[in-house]
Order: sequence, then structure tokens, then C-alpha cells
Amino acid sequence: MTETTTPARRRWDPIVRITHWSIALAVLANAVFTEEGSGPHIWVGYGLAAILALRLLWGLVGPAEARFSAFWPSPRKAMAHLREIRAGTVSHHASHNPLGALMVYAIWGCLLTIIATGITMAGPPPWNGEAEEGEHRSVAVATQGYAEAEEGEEGEEGEEGPLGEIHETAANLLYLLILLHLAGVIFETRRSGKQVLVAMAPLGR
Amino acid sequence: MNARTRQRERRATGISILVALQALACAFFLADLVGDFAQDGIGPHLVIEAMAAVALVVAVVLGALQVRSLIAAARRDEAAVAAAQGALADLIGLRFAEWQLTAAEADVALFALKGCDIAEIAALRGSAAGTVRAQLARVYAKAGVDSQSGLIALFLEELVALPDEGSLAAR
Repeated sequence: MTETTTPARRRWDPIVRITHWSIALAVLANAVFTEEGSGPHIWVGYGLAAILALRLLWGLVGPAEARFSAFWPSPRKAMAHLREIRAGTVSHHASHNPLGALMVYAIWGCLLTIIATGITMAGPPPWNGEAEEGEHRSVAVATQGYAEAEEGEEGEEGEEGPLGEIHETAANLLYLLILLHLAGVIFETRRSGKQVLVAMAPLGR
Repeated sequence: MNARTRQRERRATGISILVALQALACAFFLADLVGDFAQDGIGPHLVIEAMAAVALVVAVVLGALQVRSLIAAARRDEAAVAAAQGALADLIGLRFAEWQLTAAEADVALFALKGCDIAEIAALRGSAAGTVRAQLARVYAKAGVDSQSGLIALFLEELVALPDEGSLAAR
């Protein structure tokens, strides 16, 4: 009895919650508000990298349920979880459920790809003076492409070569994963109660 | 959730925010460092910057460890209280059955154990103070004590284990 009730009402620790919501905000900011390749876009990207690094560190030193060891990706467990869903039984997991764990690693993989390609393309973050230099660089690269295809702003990003392609593809994949993540949260909330939401809620207790 | 737990949780959240900000600062320092290095090569300025960056990395790790120990302490506290609660509830049930308290007497006795006085118990149970006084008197008689503190002491006495003389002397 105690084994199912105690972890069930637990919330994620503050580091997990802070990193989760900061990353969500950073992705939203760079997807919607900042201009691709602009100074703010790069700044937000670096911030996201820092927060993700903190979460990965937390995966090594954090409390038991926040550690990688609590949610190793395991197709076998994921299949068992699927069977459980089909059978209509609900069991509580102290950490992410097996499907959620796969999602976590998929999203981290996407983020790391985006960060790696982004940093390679942008170099160090643009401080006041360097901001213009950075723009010059991307403009210089972009002008090569203008002769072939004038697609306006969209085209500019595409002309960064294979790195830009990877950056953009990974970002699109990330949006898809986020939609799946939200769908998963809604599904799991309906299946096993709103504890799923409470556990990650940024405020309140 | 009691005030102590809440306070601990607030502290953990505060330090977590601090750690997150340090991680942010750290990333920008490191990125700037790499940029400067690519531009100017190694110089005294860069060495100092590098030390600051290393110090920040260490601070982030130590901060994370501190948050972890705060969380662990809060959980130990919670677990200890829960265990004591369970044990005490068992003990109270056993004694009440042993003294053959009626349901009403058991109710009154439980409030008395929680530290309520007669007026409070009367208000909680919606009965007259005289009734409660009479019920309490019967509870005391069955338990073999003559006051509320005596009743409370009966349970505490069993729960608080005095350290034996050997370990007292060792301290």
C-alpha cells in the first residue's frame, strides 16, 4: 500500500521542474519569437544548452527518480507498458513510465543535435561588437544561395549547408516529439489521474 | 505537509534557481572563452577568465549536490514521521482496546491525547462540557491515570527509549 501511494503523490524535484520549463520556454522562444540565426536566437540556444547540461548532470547526481538509472530506455519495458495499457491496468512508476522514458531520450537527442549544429554554425555567442560580424558571416554565406533561389528569410537559413539542414530537420522533429509528448501527457492524465500534471506543475504544491 | 517540510522545499527551490542561473552564466563564460581563445590565443586575461569558468562549473556541481542532500533530508524526515505516526496509531488502538473504552470514550481520549482541553473537545464533538468531563474521568480511571498529562505520558513513556547507561556514559 505505502509503495503505491507514497511515490504517487510525489512531485518532481525543483531542478527537474526548473529545467523542464526553462527548456520548454527556450524552445518556444526560438521556434516562435526570435529570428533564425539572429543574436537573440543564438543567446537563447546557449541558455538552453546550459540548462540541458544541468539536467544531464542531475541525471548523474540527483535523487533516485531523476537519475538515468531510474529510466534507462528499454524497448522491452515499453512493450510491457503497452500491453498494460491495452489490458487497462494502471501501475505507478517512481520515475518516468517506460514510454515516457523513450520520449525523454528522443527529445534530449533532438535537443543535443540542434545545440551541436547550432553552436557549430554560430560560433561563440555574439557580444555587442561581434553581433554584426556574425551577421556578416551568415549574410556572406546566404548571398551565395541568393543567385540560385530567392526564397526570402526561409531561404537564408537553408543556405547554411548540411549543418543548417540538420539543425532545421532536428527542430521539426523536436516539434513533432513535443506534440507527441503533450498527447502522451493528456492520455496518461486521463488514464491514471491528474497527478501526472501536478508532479511537473511549476508552482504550488 | 508541515511548516518544516515547506520551508525545506522552499530552500531547495531557491538553491535550484540559483544553480540554474549559475549554469547559464557558466555556459556563456565557456562559450566566450572559446571565442576569445580562437581570436587571440592564450593570454593572462584568458587564464583568469578560464579560472572563473572552472569555479562556476564547480559551483554548479556543488549546488546540485546541496539540493540533492536537502531533498534527501526532507524525505528522511517525512519517512520518520510517517513511521512514527503508524506505530503510534497502532499503539493507541491496542491500549484503547485493552482499556475497553467505548467508541465515545475513545474519541474523547484521542482528542485529549492531541492536547485538546475539555471546552475544545466539547466544541469538536458538539456535546456538553459536563459530558466530556465525565467521559474523560472514565477514560482516566480505565487507564489508571489521574490527569491528561498522565494519559499522554503513558504513550510517550513507551515510545521514548532512554539511552541505556553505557551509551550515556560514552557521551
